[in-house]
Amino acid sequence: MSTDRRVVLVTGGASGLGEAIVSRFASNGDHVVVADVDEYRARQVVDNLVAARLRADLATVDVTAEGEVAAMVDSLLERHGRLDALVCSAAIETRSSVVDCTDEDWQRVLDVNVKGPFLCCKHGIPAIARSGGGAVVLLGSVLGAIGSPGYAAYCASKGALVNLGKQAAIEHAPDGVRVNIVSPSATDSGLFARVAAQSDDPDGMMQMVARNTPMQRLGTAAEVAATVEFLCSDGAAFISGTVIPLDGGMAARRIV
Amino acid sequence: MTAGQLAGKVALITGSASGQGRAAAQLFAEHGAAILVVDVNDDGMHETVACIEGAGGRAIAWHADVSQRADCDAMVAAAIEAFGRLDVLYNNAAIQMSGRVVETTEEMWDVTIATNLSAIFWACRAAIPHMLAGDGGSIVNTSSTLGQQGSEGYAAYGAAKAGLIALTRQIAVEYGPKVRANVIAPGSIDTPRFRKVTDGMDDAEGFLAMLQRTIPLRRLGLADDVAQLALFLASDASAYTSGAVIPCDGGLAAFR
Repeated sequence: MSTDRRVVLVTGGASGLGEAIVSRFASNGDHVVVADVDEYRARQVVDNLVAARLRADLATVDVTAEGEVAAMVDSLLERHGRLDALVCSAAIETRSSVVDCTDEDWQRVLDVNVKGPFLCCKHGIPAIARSGGGAVVLLGSVLGAIGSPGYAAYCASKGALVNLGKQAAIEHAPDGVRVNIVSPSATDSGLFARVAAQSDDPDGMMQMVARNTPMQRLGTAAEVAATVEFLCSDGAAFISGTVIPLDGGMAARRIV
Repeated sequence: MTAGQLAGKVALITGSASGQGRAAAQLFAEHGAAILVVDVNDDGMHETVACIEGAGGRAIAWHADVSQRADCDAMVAAAIEAFGRLDVLYNNAAIQMSGRVVETTEEMWDVTIATNLSAIFWACRAAIPHMLAGDGGSIVNTSSTLGQQGSEGYAAYGAAKAGLIALTRQIAVEYGPKVRANVIAPGSIDTPRFRKVTDGMDDAEGFLAMLQRTIPLRRLGLADDVAQLALFLASDASAYTSGAVIPCDGGLAAFR
């Protein structure tokens, strides 16, 4: 057990943005606990990091099950003795409008995207507080601030996540725990990229989104990881309860 | 955060004779930027330059009253003349005059709007063509918690601080591919200017204690807290964030 090395827990750490965030922290010398429901991919991520002489281990977890989340935090504390940062990156996306969205889709999206971060905060924040304080970063979305046709449940979940984060920030600031939300738009390797890959014209879909963005390109997972890193650093010591968009200016612009 | 995040860059920082502006000038210089230190306070700005040079950095002092359009044009020209390029424009200078709407004189209104809002328009208008002609740029504008929420006695100040948020979004949208523009919204930051306000109070200690109780993180901000966020926004660490308003307020904006 090392006390000078930060211990960072990343849910959804086996793929997409979560994986990029895991890499960033591990490259900085932190110990990263890669938590994911996909044990096979999470193990691959951990094995690759360990092979590169970086520090990581695995937690298989369904973030919608409180017992599993609690056990994950307990086990992490047993192994490492501390938790300095929690990054909630696990999320799913469905494509359906308000009228078309099924009960099952609605519940599943709200469970993974809101209840999951709630449970991780509920069990992770006390662990961070007992470790002397630290940071929580919730991965939101630009669709938590603006709407988009066909993302009913997803938009609702990401909007709810913002105020969950602000609430946690207010309540646990006196414990030395800062909570912020990072809100990406389409990136080259997040959920959007996966949805685009399944469409008839993946390149066309990605280019269309890029054209509608003031910065005229998609974001990258590395850019998201850099912002998460900043929010977990001492440079952000007075920043809590905020939303940092990574959307190339998309939310600032009305589509004419 | 890694060192040298602004290596080879040139930054113009207004209001950098003291407080948040000086902290940013020193931090940006530590990270490799050459700084045009702009202020109306000649002694203070020369001190800032001396601090930077003493630490091995590059800086030049430039006298400008940003409430005057000609001064804004001249300071941007001075940065180009001195350093050959302009990558970062950090509009930090501001004045704070108290007064409810009915008690705000026309003179107070004009000076506040000129210094806190028109100055930013003039500086950006002068700087953007140089950024477009170069490698692009990052503009950081300083609003306030009071740019998004009201508080008794800040009629002109609040209006100016809200106006610059809309102006920043315009810049983000209009010059997106090459120029990013973001807003910092500081809360209560313990600077010489802040102390000048509280020193005039009958019960300064009581006021400070009350203020700290209302801030979720239970302390005032430091000039360096804001400087660290400004560095994040000025540097490539925030490469896909534009048109955003980021509070640096210990959780205050999430609370009210």
